[in-house]
Amino acid sequence: MEDKFDCIVIGGGVAGLAAAMTLARNNMKFLLVERGEFAGAKNVSGGVLWGDDLAKLVPNYWEETDGGWERFINHRRLTFMDEQSTFTLDFKSKHFNETPYNGVVVLRSKFDNWLAGKVQEAIDASDFAMDSFIATDIKVDEVIMENDKAVGIKTGEDEFFADSVIIAEGVNNLLTRQVGLQDKYVPADHMLIGIKEVIRFDQKVLEDRFQLNGLSGMSNEFVGWATDGIEGGGFLYTNRDTISIGLVLGLKDLREKGPNKEPYHILNRFKTHPTVADAIRGGEVVEYSAHVVSSGDSRVMPKELYKDGILLVGEAANLLMNAGKAIQGMDYAMRSGILAAETIVKAKAKGDYSSATLKEYRKVMDESYVMKDINNFQDAVHLLHTDTMQKKVPNLICDFGRQFFSIKNEPTPKTEKMLLRAIKRHSSLWELAKLGFKARKSL
Amino acid sequence: MKLLKLTERLGLVSYRNQSKTEFKPHIIVDTDICNTTCPHKCTTWICPAYCYTLEEGIVRFQVEDCIECGSCMYACDQGAVTWNYPDPEIGRGVTWNFG
Repeated sequence: MEDKFDCIVIGGGVAGLAAAMTLARNNMKFLLVERGEFAGAKNVSGGVLWGDDLAKLVPNYWEETDGGWERFINHRRLTFMDEQSTFTLDFKSKHFNETPYNGVVVLRSKFDNWLAGKVQEAIDASDFAMDSFIATDIKVDEVIMENDKAVGIKTGEDEFFADSVIIAEGVNNLLTRQVGLQDKYVPADHMLIGIKEVIRFDQKVLEDRFQLNGLSGMSNEFVGWATDGIEGGGFLYTNRDTISIGLVLGLKDLREKGPNKEPYHILNRFKTHPTVADAIRGGEVVEYSAHVVSSGDSRVMPKELYKDGILLVGEAANLLMNAGKAIQGMDYAMRSGILAAETIVKAKAKGDYSSATLKEYRKVMDESYVMKDINNFQDAVHLLHTDTMQKKVPNLICDFGRQFFSIKNEPTPKTEKMLLRAIKRHSSLWELAKLGFKARKSL
Repeated sequence: MKLLKLTERLGLVSYRNQSKTEFKPHIIVDTDICNTTCPHKCTTWICPAYCYTLEEGIVRFQVEDCIECGSCMYACDQGAVTWNYPDPEIGRGVTWNFG
């Protein structure tokens, strides 16, 4: 097999492109296949790419102000919401203006396409400039297995062969299921649907409204009333001249609490909240999109991250988590893509692509912040999805806020009394003590 | 701001192979299951593109408006949904402008 590749990467999202970049830089001969018209064409995220791994893939990416990213985050907000009010934790710091940034907002159709351009540059500079490819409009029908080892891919009438396959197909991981690393049917229990609108403004209006300076940006997550009683939350991120606004809603909860729980109606309802309505006034919706995401609950994750000739990266392995601080997925995708490709480089040097070598990927993943965080914050993921955190706490906080910030021309009760009143109305001291104990251990 | 109806929202989506009169559906739904044994018919409210409709108690499915989110594949626990990705040449599906 003259034309055999060292590796075939399935999927041109963040995980696949991070893997491809690493393969190219290590002079590997590879093929990346993407089913969309271009890398990013099928991809949707919230979306903030957290952390600074992007600087590893594209050094000094911030100097390219017309690059694939929208804005860097220097302003973070977490909003608790009841029907009429919002109570927000708000943190903005000059510290976050420093490069490498703490996180950048991206729109995937643009970002992934840009990143694919960078990968192509790395291919052009590699020993296999003429033999490694990014191929679009190719849907993989199956991973070709021989003696339970991956040897290539089948796409329509065509077959391509390689020593290894990196599956970066995303959360709807049909090939991961085909090769037996995930069950054929994945239940709705720990899966959610993300639903989003991109809303355009005059750039000056957007910058003034959200107090943006140059390319700085704001991220805002919402808990409580936003989701109409469905487990999940809301988000609002600022792009160059648009915002990304949406919800993440638990699929099992939607099934059990419907009918009359249509995600698009819940999104419209969210947009009518007085605080949200003020933030988005005058904008024009330019895109409506949706995509399934995993919850970060490790019970949903594939049985293993590797098998003979195969590595799983990104959301194909359900590497995504919201433990209360941020919705992290794209950074996990990037790190797992890099680590998978590095494992393939080692496998080539050893001439062994079997599990014996590829299990190294599991080891480096377990040692990385990705698996450490996913393992350490499982209790936080469970806690966030409880009814107490989803409903009672936001209502309690907003009730307290309303009392605390109301100035009446009458004697003012002490703050503690206001707090106790709010606790009594929405929960109990006992329940909060239990919650506090759990939160202390899990967060 | 003005709230959009679902049809207006879907009008903003760029679908592939729109000029083709026929395309290969990428999702097959056994609506016999939906209409006989399914106790909830949940895809009729969960699908964000309203591909599953309920008319006089009968579930119908059309794939034209599908935005490839995947939610029906998980939400359906009755085995009625056979989900795949659309074929780039002869399938439907989306190309996101923003994503």
